[in-house]
Amino acid sequence: MKEEQPIDNIINQQSITNSTQHSALSTFNFKKTIIRLENIFKVYGIGETEVRALSDVNLTIEEGDYCSIMGPSGSGKSTAMNIIGCLDRPSSGHYYLDSLDVAQMEDSELAHIRNKKLGFVFQQFHLLQQLSALENVMLPMVYAGIPNSERKDRATEALIKVGLEKRLLNKPNQLSGGQQQRVAIARAIVNRPVLLLADEPTGALDSRTTQEVLDIFTELNNTGITVVMVTHEPEVARQTRRIVWFRDGQVVHSNLTPADLSQVAAMQ
Amino acid sequence: MLSRKLGLRSYYLLLTTYFSLLVLSIQNSALLYYLIIMNIVESMKMAGKTLLSNKLRSALTMLGIVIGNASVIAMIGIGEGGQKYVAKQLESLGPNVLFVLPGNEETQRISFEVPRNLVLADADAIASQVPTVVGVAPELNRRQRVSFGNRNTDVNIIGTTPSFLQVRDFTTSKGRFFSDVDMKRNNQVIVLGGKFATKLFGSTNPIGQSVRVKDSRFEVIGVLTEKGSSVGADYDSAAIVPLTTSANRLIGRNSPYGIALDYIVASARDGQSVDAAVFQITNLLRLRHKITNEDDFTIRTQKDALQTVGQISGALTVMLAAIAAISLFVGGIGIMNIMLVSVTERTHEIGLRKAIGATEQDILLQFMIEAVIVSAAGGLIGTAVGVSGIVLVGALTPLEAAISPIAIGSAVGISGAIGLFFGVFPARRAAKLDPIVALRSA
Repeated sequence: MKEEQPIDNIINQQSITNSTQHSALSTFNFKKTIIRLENIFKVYGIGETEVRALSDVNLTIEEGDYCSIMGPSGSGKSTAMNIIGCLDRPSSGHYYLDSLDVAQMEDSELAHIRNKKLGFVFQQFHLLQQLSALENVMLPMVYAGIPNSERKDRATEALIKVGLEKRLLNKPNQLSGGQQQRVAIARAIVNRPVLLLADEPTGALDSRTTQEVLDIFTELNNTGITVVMVTHEPEVARQTRRIVWFRDGQVVHSNLTPADLSQVAAMQ
Repeated sequence: MLSRKLGLRSYYLLLTTYFSLLVLSIQNSALLYYLIIMNIVESMKMAGKTLLSNKLRSALTMLGIVIGNASVIAMIGIGEGGQKYVAKQLESLGPNVLFVLPGNEETQRISFEVPRNLVLADADAIASQVPTVVGVAPELNRRQRVSFGNRNTDVNIIGTTPSFLQVRDFTTSKGRFFSDVDMKRNNQVIVLGGKFATKLFGSTNPIGQSVRVKDSRFEVIGVLTEKGSSVGADYDSAAIVPLTTSANRLIGRNSPYGIALDYIVASARDGQSVDAAVFQITNLLRLRHKITNEDDFTIRTQKDALQTVGQISGALTVMLAAIAAISLFVGGIGIMNIMLVSVTERTHEIGLRKAIGATEQDILLQFMIEAVIVSAAGGLIGTAVGVSGIVLVGALTPLEAAISPIAIGSAVGISGAIGLFFGVFPARRAAKLDPIVALRSA
């Protein structure tokens, strides 16, 4: 903290006041904590080649939050996202996801956690080309062991939620980029996750469809789903409620507001 | 206090565990079973979808197994068909028939010039002195030119005795067979094989006609009923004359001891007395030939012949099947190859599936089932091809269509197992993929 540049210092102080307010508030309204990272380290290699991708990261995200993670490339935000998404395990530290300590779980347990508690949205959509929109959305429920009839109903419901009720049987190559991303969002929410994770969800979209997708995120967040999104676009991050800033494997600001972001962005 | 508490607690734990196990084990295993079944059903659906989305590749992958399977089944079928064919031919001789051949195995092996030491007197002695033998037919065969009018053909002229009919189980369709009188008088009479009679005479009645054999005239007195070809000699396209006539007028006496024979066919009283007949004939001939050490004759029974044929054709079948199995194996390698390519191609898909909650086992199962479906379907198609090949061979050749259920079962089972075996490696590779790396790979 002491080594920080002066311009960051100003924001930092501000954010400290913000976070104290925030935590003070949260102690009163008993919001459930969805993500709690405690002293997370992620180290690659050993000895001289050792690289610390994450170094003592602490972060708390509460239920209903709409949060974006930003930072320069190599700052550790992707690594943090992988750990939050249970795709990777930290080298040390504790990660409580919905009060479960998932840091040292086995692969198969993590798979179940990803299936039941998390929803993923990727930059490249990652839809299976040979399946229709409906079948793509049904996929997570296959691994959840949900009966076939229920799968169809719930997948249809999810696709209606993202406004694709007329595209149920289209294959991904018959859909526009924005529509494909909406299918991906439907797939992410169909298992009713506690947390929706989006990795550069608008990175492959133009500005109009970007707004469509962000509107869906906002809408979902309004219905109570916690959303965490990695992005490098300030315009996107500005539409979230809270911004976490990573640099050199550490969280340097854990609670920026969109207004703070303008200053950071102006300095970049 | 503490230990008592612990003791109570563990006792309580033991009890509850015991009862919950008792109550839940059935339910749980049923649930587990249901889940596994559901998993497999889902994986099969997914695998089917994937395979159908790339039909050409799936079909080509399958082709290796189809060919392998078809050839295994066809080879075993044809091998067994051949075996059955030969066995049936041998059986057509009758189970009681035994052959006495000149020379022992050693002398037979050394040269084609078999010793001429089995004579007509030996045959007569067997007929009159061996109680378990009911019929003896000595044979002396030579290829001779037979002509009628301007037609002439080279055929096998068989010199034998009247008991030939009974021993070889023949009847005459026209005329009569020669008698002991014909034998005694060296009568120049001839009985034609069914096929040969048609060939030489066409539709005219051959009975009473005169044919020329070598330089002598023979009167046709009968025609044998056609029997189909049989092992050793094809009597349907041969002609039969009295042994004495053959030896005295056609071939000439060729042994100082009397008329030398090619072999003697003897029929035992029944199946059980074959071994006794062998023993008695052996003793008789040893006495007659004054043998002190090595026999100068060999006795073959149908059982011996069947055994020999069985050994040879069995070895042949195994060899054919082994060659075919290699192609099945190569087909399996083809599956593995394509599966590996498929895993590389579908890295994204695997990463995505893992990210949304597929476990390693789910991915493993999916790819394994794809491999097994390809190979089992290939196995079934291959079986159909193989079986129709056998049926075709059965229809076009005298080989009997032998469709062996064991061969089919094992070929389909083996191809399924090949799918499992060669699917494991690619499927494990897929299952072990790190979802982060898999998703990032462009």
